[in-house]
Parts: sequence; C-alpha cells; structure tokens
Amino acid sequence: MTRMAMLIDTSKCTGCRGCQVACKQWWDLPETQTQQTGSYENPTDLSPQTWTRITFHEYESGGRFQWLFLKQGCLHCAEAACVDVCPTSALKHSDLGAVTLESDLCNGCGYCAQFCPFGIPRLETLNLFTGEAKATKCNFCQDRVPEGLKPACVKTCPPGALDWGERDAILEKARSRVEALKARGYAEVSLYGETEMGGLGRLYVLTAPPSAYGLPENPQYPASVPVWQEGVQPIGYGAVALTAVGLGLSWLIGRRMAAQDSSAKKEE
Amino acid sequence: MNTIVRFKAPERLAHWLHFVAFTVLLGTGMFIYLPALRAFATGNAGEAARLAHRIAALVFMLSPIIYLVFSPREFFESLREMFKWGPDDFAWLRGAAAYYTYGRKAQLPPQGKYNAGQKLNALTQFIAFGVFVVTGLLMWFGKGAVPVGVFRWVVILHDLAVIATTSLFVLHLYLVGIHPLTRESITAMVEGSVSEAYAKEHHTLWLEQVRDQKKGAGE
Repeated sequence: MTRMAMLIDTSKCTGCRGCQVACKQWWDLPETQTQQTGSYENPTDLSPQTWTRITFHEYESGGRFQWLFLKQGCLHCAEAACVDVCPTSALKHSDLGAVTLESDLCNGCGYCAQFCPFGIPRLETLNLFTGEAKATKCNFCQDRVPEGLKPACVKTCPPGALDWGERDAILEKARSRVEALKARGYAEVSLYGETEMGGLGRLYVLTAPPSAYGLPENPQYPASVPVWQEGVQPIGYGAVALTAVGLGLSWLIGRRMAAQDSSAKKEE
Repeated sequence: MNTIVRFKAPERLAHWLHFVAFTVLLGTGMFIYLPALRAFATGNAGEAARLAHRIAALVFMLSPIIYLVFSPREFFESLREMFKWGPDDFAWLRGAAAYYTYGRKAQLPPQGKYNAGQKLNALTQFIAFGVFVVTGLLMWFGKGAVPVGVFRWVVILHDLAVIATTSLFVLHLYLVGIHPLTRESITAMVEGSVSEAYAKEHHTLWLEQVRDQKKGAGE
C-alpha cells in the first residue's frame, strides 16, 4: 500500500494547540494538571496522556525575530529503531507506513524509549515489582487512517498548517511551500524528514534551522542496534548451539572409545 | 570405600540456590531473547515472567552472600584458587579436549582442588555475575536515570554475559550429569563428598594436600 505522510508547515502554525486537544479527545486521554512556566508552551513535555504537543521557541537571525512552533510527536521513521528493538512486536510498521503500537502486546520493557533517536516514546508509571512500564506514543491514528479518515490533529488544524496524504504528494506540496517561502524572503527555510531515518512520516517545513526547533540536525540510527540485533543475538544462538553439538560429538566418540576399551579387555 | 569431604552444607546450599535462580533467569529471559518464545513475553505470562525474573535475580544475588557468611574460609579459598594460574593450568586446558573425548590421560598435569577447566568456569561466572548485577539493576531501576547512550550498551552487555554463562552452563551440565569419566563428581555437590579414587584420578594434588592436613592434625 502507499505510504502516507503528514505535512507540518510551521510557517502557518499559530500555536493554537487545537491538535493537542483533538488528539486527547479522539484517544480519550485525560487532561493533566499543568503549571505556568513563563511560556505558552503547555504541558511542558510529552507524556502517556499527551502524545502530541506544540513546543514554543524564540529565534532571532539576521535582525529578524521569529516565534517558532513545532508539533512534537512520533515521526514515524522508515528505518525505525524502536520497531527493531521491540521484543514483542508491539511496535510495527503498518501497510500505510505508520509506526503503530499495540498496547496489549507491549510488555513494558521500555527499549523503544531508550533507542528512539528523537526521544519520543513515553513510559507509563514503572511497576517496581515487575519492571513494567508500557510505552505510549502517537500512532498516526491507526484506527482512523485505514478507514480513509485523516488523523484527528490534521482534521482539526484551523490555520491549515497540517496536511495529510500519500507521501509523494505531500513531499511535492512541502517542496513547493519551501520555494514559496524562500521567494518571500525566508532565507533559512528547509524541508525536514525527506531522507532522515530512511524518510520520516512527518515532513516539516521549517523557517529556521532544525536545532532552533529542538530537532536533531542529523538524527542517527543508533549504532548499538545492529550490533545487538544482528551481532550479539545470533552469536548467542550459535555459541550455545555449537557447545551442545560439540558435547554431543564428544559423547558419541567417548562412548565408542569406551566400547572398544571393554571389548579389548574381554579379549585379553 | 573412603570418601573425602569436598563441599560443606552452606557451599552446597549456595550452589543450588544459584543453580535454581540461574535456570529461572535463563528461562524467563529467553522469552524476549528467542523470537519463537516472544508470545510468552506478553499478557499474563509476560507479567509472571517479569516478576519471576526479578525474584530469581534477588536469589541469584543472595547466593554468594550465603556462601560468604556461612562458609567464609571456603569462600576466600575458592576465590584465591580461581585467580591462581600456572603453566600446569594451561597445559591441562590444552590436553582437556583429548582427555574428555578420547580418554587420553597422559597429557594432563595433576590438579588441585579445582582443575583449570573448573577455574575457567568459576572465573567466567564470577565476572559475569558482576556484569549481571550491575546491568540488571540498571535495567530494573535505572531506566530514564541512565543516559540512553549508556543504556543501549547495558542491554548488550547483559546479553553477552548470558551467552558466556549459558555456554559454560551447558558444558557444566554435560560434565557433571552425562560424561562417564566425570559424572561421579555430582556427589560432591549433592552429598558433599567424593570417593578417594575419584579425588586421586581428578584432583591428585588436592588429595595429597588433604592427607597432609589430616596427618598434621593427627600428630
């Protein structure tokens, strides 16, 4: 099936946080107690009750001040470390290219949160006896999208900063927005997500460098994942299997030697 | 038939607690290690496995403490032995495969209370124990507190310790349970003693040592 993607045009975002509310409403996520921190940014972090939020950043460059808004949440990587390290396959790529999460399958190991290059998954309260802390994150509205609907946040966005569609078409739109903004004098405008982590499911049109939004300039697939998944684990199967086979051979040879010994004794 | 005391009761208790804990830890750990068993890692089975893994981890950490508290002399004696390596030990390791497979005894130098293979096993288990405790506690309580860059390698170290100890565990089971030349040694860990004939065959230097001590005590 075709890979879907979300366009996030930060130049159009007004920071109204309608997307935050729509997400909570659709997924029945409870409100949380918030606090004034001197910024309109609220709540101050993603949580098991907040899967997407707008982060606020002040940025000045070339004598021009910008108040930047970024819709934070799972970026739905094509090469997703979380999917690769998930031991129970609770995290999967859907046919539509989303990184979906089956809470029933999640055993709460928390590896996804530790291996995500964007630091997105949030864990529920840790059970100290079982060590269980189930993961939560945006799943690209895995119940709406296969039915042909847009994700709740896209549906609600009043200024039209969010758009949804087949990734190729969204990529086209994003590119033309970048050109249009450049023509209007935004020198630092860029497209984020086209190739990062094999291509992201969220394509950002940014009017300032990624780091000004708190995004990693050059997100990397953790080097430890292939070492672990393709190195250490197969070595483990091999080492234990080799030990067992070696001992089996040793036993067979030893038994034959013992039989020869006893028959030699009989002949004497 | 004369027997010689090899392991005292606290040593045996510590060993068997360690054995049970290790087996449970290995079994429950396999749920998220072997793709074929991953179905057991979720739901109620997963919940039970997680709890069992943690209870077994406590027993695992407790067993050497029991050894240390109730049998301190033997604890430190074994520790000293484990780190004592000489040319004879390496010669023994070189000849071991031929002996255990073909029964060729000639190349094996006489051994003390522990032969070089047992020392190698003990040493590996000793180091792996440290790795298990540190990485295990970090994975249990340190999630979020440890930088992610560190945590990623902690998981891998835990796995490497599993591979090393499990390979040796299989070998250990084979030698004490199946191998015709050595399976008698299990009585040392079950009843606490071995026959003099066995001690003479496998731990010549140790037998002499024990006899000297007895003589010294008798006079």
